Amino acid sequence: MDNFASLMHGFSVALTFHHVALMMGGVLLGILVGVLPGLGAPNGVSLLLPLTFSMDPVSAIILLTSLYWGALFGGSTTSIIFNIPGEPSSVATTFDGHPMAKQGRATEALSLAFLSAGFGALAGVLLITALSGWVAKFALRFSSPEFFAVYFITFASFIGLGGSSAFKSIVAMGVGFTLASIGMDSVSGNIRLTYEFDVLLGGVSFLIAVIGLFGIGELLLTMEDGLRFDGVAAKVRLGDVLRTAATLPRYWVALLRSSAIGIWMGITPGGPTAASFMSYAMAKRSSRNPEKFGKGEPEGVISPETADHAAGSAAMLPMLALGIPGSATAAVMMGGLMIWGLNPGPMLFTERPDFVWGLIASMYLGNVVAVVVVLATVPLFASILRIPFSIIGPLIVVICFIGAYTVAGKPFDIWLALAFGVVGYAFKKLDYPIAPMILAMVIGDKAEDAFRQSMIFSQGSLSIFWSNSLVTSLMALGLLLLLLHPLQLAWRGARRLTAAHATRG
Amino acid sequence: MVTRLWAETAVALFTLAYGLVIVRGATEFGIGWDASGPEPGAFPFYTGLLVAAASLGTLVVTWSKRLRADRAISAVILDGEGLRRVVSFFLPILGFVLLCAALGMYVATIAYLFFAMRVQGGFGWLASLATSFGAALTFYIVIERIFLIQLMKGPIEALFGL
Repeated sequence: MDNFASLMHGFSVALTFHHVALMMGGVLLGILVGVLPGLGAPNGVSLLLPLTFSMDPVSAIILLTSLYWGALFGGSTTSIIFNIPGEPSSVATTFDGHPMAKQGRATEALSLAFLSAGFGALAGVLLITALSGWVAKFALRFSSPEFFAVYFITFASFIGLGGSSAFKSIVAMGVGFTLASIGMDSVSGNIRLTYEFDVLLGGVSFLIAVIGLFGIGELLLTMEDGLRFDGVAAKVRLGDVLRTAATLPRYWVALLRSSAIGIWMGITPGGPTAASFMSYAMAKRSSRNPEKFGKGEPEGVISPETADHAAGSAAMLPMLALGIPGSATAAVMMGGLMIWGLNPGPMLFTERPDFVWGLIASMYLGNVVAVVVVLATVPLFASILRIPFSIIGPLIVVICFIGAYTVAGKPFDIWLALAFGVVGYAFKKLDYPIAPMILAMVIGDKAEDAFRQSMIFSQGSLSIFWSNSLVTSLMALGLLLLLLHPLQLAWRGARRLTAAHATRG
Repeated sequence: MVTRLWAETAVALFTLAYGLVIVRGATEFGIGWDASGPEPGAFPFYTGLLVAAASLGTLVVTWSKRLRADRAISAVILDGEGLRRVVSFFLPILGFVLLCAALGMYVATIAYLFFAMRVQGGFGWLASLATSFGAALTFYIVIERIFLIQLMKGPIEALFGL
């Protein structure tokens, strides 16, 4: 019951007027960010982060996580009403959410989406409450080789489980790692890879990369498609919401299955987007009437939404307990923790229990606040999207560049953001995954340090990664994930061969 | 008109060059082993090499699809209309960044928003002026007054004593 007592303490930290007000503000900003195309959750957190440098870390993280919840909800709103996903992770919600809205069941679709999303998020937070202390305690046994092995697993799973080509995942990741190594080398104190440009002395901030890649890049892509909003009128009445809520228990199988998928994808760095697609596919495959999917099937809204939010909140577990973010947004937040002078990872639980448990408690409250706020403000945010994009687009551009400048007050950074914007556009166009690049930028230094310290322990022998059962099993898991695609291909090939033999024989 | 083949090739060549530049830069700091463990250049050297190798991988995959006459690879992924829209959105952004560097962020914000609304969006004079000045004022209040962060300023802001 250790965790329970800590959690109660956490609630006493989170349940102050100041913090609840921050949650409301964060959720509202988050919905706005989620609703507007080109401003996603990672980008929203990056833009707000410099403004929190002067806040105390607990308030700052509550604000940023609430913004994240809000963004996840906002993304679903536009998916359902406008058929335009405000977030990549709510693409799967458009499949059945928008058809429902067109049939005049917009309120039902929205309520189902928000309530099941809330359910998924709470499932994720419950898991964090139950497991984070234990994971952190386990991770206290880790030293450099084990940490490097865990980083290895993280990146191997991007290659093995990611949807993109393995070569492209490796390029994205490698670019992130090399960008992270520009500037001061934290082990030797040398300045490296600046090519005698003074502006590179301080390194390349991951925040600038996020603003460029996710903000400007996304906007360029949106413009290319020639964005048009054809919305369905949405009014949310309390009675309809309650009536829909009463039908929710009927879908308990979908809710539980999707939560499990989401939690798994959040802890492993599959992320919310992959989780929502996988959950949608599973729901369709296991449904008794799969032909209804895509035409306004409630389960087609519930499944991706539950998984999306379960993954979003579960991604906080590896970030807090191991110092490894499970999604691009979690990576940005973790970068924030490091800027605030906290050291994400197992030590955080003993060093700053008030921070950790305050955050976990705020995740319960924040999601409840978010469901209520988002239901209340649907008409308001839907009307924002009726403002022509030729005003909103340029305004978002200005916000991105001002945000880039506020990171460090360096004029060079706005050029960098522009360059990242062009790269982001090209990468997105050609399906290069961007999340692993951000992750590599945030934890690149730590991964490198872990590797070099291991090498120092072992005097240069790679055998340290097979030196005890713990690190060996971690490395083996990483290798397995890395080779997942080739192994699957070989397995399928072998089966086809035996099948051919069988038919011939 | 841009086909997937050429887009993939261009981006892979770009990342290949990037990887090689990093490899070249890393060799200046030693990629071997010294008294204190691996030298500072070692990690970037190998990750740079990995980027270059994976870029070659993408090139090989792309062109082998071309040789197999895979239809997806010769598909047009950016047509004339899309290209025109992207460029007409991008060029004003470039102008905005140039103006920021030359005249500061407030002047650039006003000029850029006004241009985008009046010239590109076809809005009236009043609406365009009101929005662009209103936005600049909002940024001033939120960023400089509430969060006390200074934005980039140029000679025109100086005239107003900001």
